[in-house]
Amino acid sequence: MTRLVGAELLKVRTTRLFLWLGLLTLALETLVISLHVGKDSLFSLGEPRQQRDVVSIAAVSALISLILGIVASAGEFSHGTIGQTFLVAPVRERVAAAKLIAGAFAGFVLAVIACGFAWGLAALLLAARSVTLHLGSGSTVRVALGTILAAALTGAFGIGLGALLRRQTAAIVIALVWLLVGEPLLLGIAGVERYGPGRVIASVVEAGNQGSDLLSFGAGLSVALVYVAVAGALGTLSLSRSDIT
Amino acid sequence: MADAPLEVRGLTKRFGSTTAVDGLTFAIEPGRITGFLGPNGAGKTTTLRMLLGLVHASAGDALVEGVPYRRLRNPARSVGAVLEASSYHPARSGRNHLRVLATAAGIPQARVDETLRQVELEAAAGRAVRTYSLGMRQRLSVAGALLGEPRLLVLDEPANGLDPEGIRWLRRFLRSFSAEGGTVFISSHVLAEIAQLADEVVIIHRAKLVAHEPLAALTARAAGGTIVRSPDSGRLRERLAAEGIEAEAPEDGELRVASPPERVGEIAAAAGIVLHELRGESASLEEAFLELTGAEE
Repeated sequence: MTRLVGAELLKVRTTRLFLWLGLLTLALETLVISLHVGKDSLFSLGEPRQQRDVVSIAAVSALISLILGIVASAGEFSHGTIGQTFLVAPVRERVAAAKLIAGAFAGFVLAVIACGFAWGLAALLLAARSVTLHLGSGSTVRVALGTILAAALTGAFGIGLGALLRRQTAAIVIALVWLLVGEPLLLGIAGVERYGPGRVIASVVEAGNQGSDLLSFGAGLSVALVYVAVAGALGTLSLSRSDIT
Repeated sequence: MADAPLEVRGLTKRFGSTTAVDGLTFAIEPGRITGFLGPNGAGKTTTLRMLLGLVHASAGDALVEGVPYRRLRNPARSVGAVLEASSYHPARSGRNHLRVLATAAGIPQARVDETLRQVELEAAAGRAVRTYSLGMRQRLSVAGALLGEPRLLVLDEPANGLDPEGIRWLRRFLRSFSAEGGTVFISSHVLAEIAQLADEVVIIHRAKLVAHEPLAALTARAAGGTIVRSPDSGRLRERLAAEGIEAEAPEDGELRVASPPERVGEIAAAAGIVLHELRGESASLEEAFLELTGAEE
């Protein structure tokens, strides 16, 4: 299993996918943090809660990690490389498991980089405005840890979704439309919005800082794990049963 | 008895109401080059993909060294497969493509450069595959197949799109692989290529097996006639006609007889006619193939 996970990570490293998605994450962080620190009042920026909000843009890495997982998984079908993958590792369930682990690890690494960059940039810009730093406060650190955990989960979820849908663009569009439109609309009407995948991931990111519109961290993490398990199982089933023609 | 490198028994694949492969049964011999022939759509690729565990059989067995591909302990060490030239991530370099395969198969990374040398692709190894010509992609496919130093190579239409130099390189390579004891199972619709390479042929048509025999036997059987030279060819022709056997005389002293050499020889001996030459007439592989696959048209 270790060598299969290693091969999956090598696949991610040997194209520019990780690089471009990483740069996109850092660019978004730079934009949002610069606007935040440049626009907000000094009084407001001096509050720990406000500083936590400034760096919480790092949570965008959870969304980027979802896209990373989808592209890494569905890309095997788009480029026709899945056949070669199964030739060297014909037990497809093992390949699926390796992909899920690699997706989670790639998400983890992306989020660590995103958090490190966000904290560093925020510290630099806040210091430039002579604001006392509170970036090490408990609630801010919890957001960083929650973000890293969430990105690992969305990375694995993306792998499962990509294996299930097999078309990169379609899978990304479906995921984004669901998160931005479908979930607020449909689940809001049904009154169970807190259980939607996007809100569940938000409750993991908030890691105990959340208000009443989100599940608690523990409940959110449990539901998120169920989502990952279901996507992983369906993706694995799809890989196992399909003919590679 | 050792298991055949490849064996199929009653192998069948149905896609909905279409039967792509219908009850195929054959086994290939170790250490030989076996051509796998059939018109487009006959079921060659589907059969190969079932052998390699990529397509699930509807019925029957597809075995590699006696077990289904999925149960091979280390497939890359047993079988090297060359499927399609387009199965690459366009942004990944040739070397990195092989590194991924080697990592997944537990093969030392040193083999990557060895196989790149073997297929004469070292100079382009660091370039993205999108910049490769079709011939270079085929060589990369062959390199991937060789990574685990397998005993068996399975190739699906490897000459497709290759220029004459590429085809010559492939032919040379397969001959040398076979000469070192390797087994080759190669599908192709380029009959001239198979005629130059194969020891045996398996021919399928409309999803069914129509022939599996040594190439020489197939071409001889397809022709079925005899070339005979005799100083007394006129009398021989008369005796053959008396036995109801037709004979043409393309040249003076030579007859082309529509009967096997054994029968012609017996008639000549019974009549005390001297023969200077008696040999079975061979058809080309193309003629044999068309006879077998065209009969049902």
